[in-house]
Amino acid sequence: MHMADALLSAAVGGTMCAASAAAIGYSVTRIQKDELSEKKVPIMAVAGAFVFAAQMINFTIPGTGSSGHIGGGILLAALLGGYPALLTISAVLLIQCLFFADGGLLALGCNIFNMGVIPCLVVYPLLFKPMLRRKTSLAAIGAASVLATVLGLQFGAFAVVLETQASGITELPFSAFALLMQPIHLAIGLVEGLITAAVLGFVHSMRPEIMQSAIEGSAIGGGVPLRRVLLSFGAAALIVGALLSLFASAYPDGLEWSMERLAGTTELELKGGVLEGAAGIQGATAFMPDYDFKSPEEEGSPLGTSTAGVVGGALTFALAGGTALLISAVKKKNRGAKATA
Amino acid sequence: MALTGNGINELLTLEGLAGGASPLHRLHPRAKLLATAAFLVTVLSFDQFALGRLIPFIFYPAVLIPLSDTPFALICKRLVVALPFCLFIGLSNLLLERQTALMLGGFALSFGLLSCLSLLLRACLCVAAVLLLVAVTRLSELTAALRSLHVPAIFVTVLEMTYRYIGVLWGETGSMLLAYRLRGGRAKGVDLRHAGSFVGCLFLRSVDRAERVYAAMRCRGYGGGALFLQKRPFSPKDWAFCALIPALCAVLRLVDLGELLLRLLGGV
Repeated sequence: MHMADALLSAAVGGTMCAASAAAIGYSVTRIQKDELSEKKVPIMAVAGAFVFAAQMINFTIPGTGSSGHIGGGILLAALLGGYPALLTISAVLLIQCLFFADGGLLALGCNIFNMGVIPCLVVYPLLFKPMLRRKTSLAAIGAASVLATVLGLQFGAFAVVLETQASGITELPFSAFALLMQPIHLAIGLVEGLITAAVLGFVHSMRPEIMQSAIEGSAIGGGVPLRRVLLSFGAAALIVGALLSLFASAYPDGLEWSMERLAGTTELELKGGVLEGAAGIQGATAFMPDYDFKSPEEEGSPLGTSTAGVVGGALTFALAGGTALLISAVKKKNRGAKATA
Repeated sequence: MALTGNGINELLTLEGLAGGASPLHRLHPRAKLLATAAFLVTVLSFDQFALGRLIPFIFYPAVLIPLSDTPFALICKRLVVALPFCLFIGLSNLLLERQTALMLGGFALSFGLLSCLSLLLRACLCVAAVLLLVAVTRLSELTAALRSLHVPAIFVTVLEMTYRYIGVLWGETGSMLLAYRLRGGRAKGVDLRHAGSFVGCLFLRSVDRAERVYAAMRCRGYGGGALFLQKRPFSPKDWAFCALIPALCAVLRLVDLGELLLRLLGGV
């Protein structure tokens, strides 16, 4: 689910951009360590274009319409490996945002985090890979894809809820919003998971080496999985912590609940030091450090709480509209003059 | 068979627009990128009820869109994609927050209405700003700007190549769909039972294609980086644009233009 710019405050958008930029930077260094990185670039790019092409296929799913989320994070991560998949998804999201208005530009950080970092750098290495490390049978691939896709989408949807709430845009109570988002994305996740399983099953039976090399993280010398797991744990904890501390400043009551929920399912260490450290990092990386969540009463009603405010707004609106009409009229006239000359 | 889906048309339209020759097209891509970012950050830094303060920002699209020869209709099309979820959040605000904010004539305007309208206005402004950026800047210029802003080269290359491959794979998918339809009794879509093998096959064909393209690129001297990069310096116009837009945004962030206008009119 692509978030639009309008659903975010500058502070949340900026923080998430910084977090996603860090994740991309980290992935780039990991990929560049790989000797074959240069050869992987065209395949990463093709996988990105493949996401767009797959959207063109109309699946006849009884009862539902489109299938816009076929190129999910888990599918790409399984085919390319986690770090390359994150870059691919980021490129796809940037193109979607620029050329299709699907998701905002400042919201890109959030979208990359929700749909890229969570599935590729958290769910894929911690759930999908371990499930297939011992043997890659068709059944194991199916179970791992469905489970990982559902879980990735659940976390992603939950992140959308957190980010929107932290931005202070919606009046929807936190729990109602979450209760609305999670079941919808459970259904989407199941369908996407089944398709992912089918696609991966097919690719595995045709070219088993593709998924195998992604799982082994080709050419990065063996014996580092534990370090990698710890590192991705740390990065995820910091990023989630930064987000939660933002959220905490807006809704002190919701924090305990959401922490219990997140920590209960992902086993992240979020208490004490990590959270405080994350808050410090958040303060340092936030776009507008002094921008915090004031209630509207504190800031004074922005519309002037008066009819005068409305009239002023209407005047400005008319003035802007007039300017637009004037410029297009002048342009048209110039063009006409040029054509006749 | 014509390619289904109007996505490719949208790409082509934007690419055509970006090749234009308005004053905005001629500006340095980095200047445009920075101005857009400044605009977005400023618009999003207002709180959710700040309808009156957001209205002056309409000047940005109102002036620049006609200046750049971008059709207004394109914005409406893009809003259709961006609006549904914003509309949902906005309407829920409208229903949940009914406290009266101000009286206008005989009507009471609630805080919910204010936040709903400001959310929709915000959505329009942001969509317009991003559209404006891509309508006056080619992707190759944008990626050059990203490179000069020290975005990792590998990411920029993936971005450029993904964009270029979209058309290629679109054609590949089109021929696969045609074949499927001809042999499958002219079915409208792909049966869900065949989803795995269809998409999987598309992926394998794509990878094969990528390998062939890569080999061809290597034969022509491609070495991983950008081969051609026209460096163009910042002209005084670029500096002016780059300074003007953020400065105007800052002024509008600090000064309530609507109120000022009223006061001026009242003084006359």
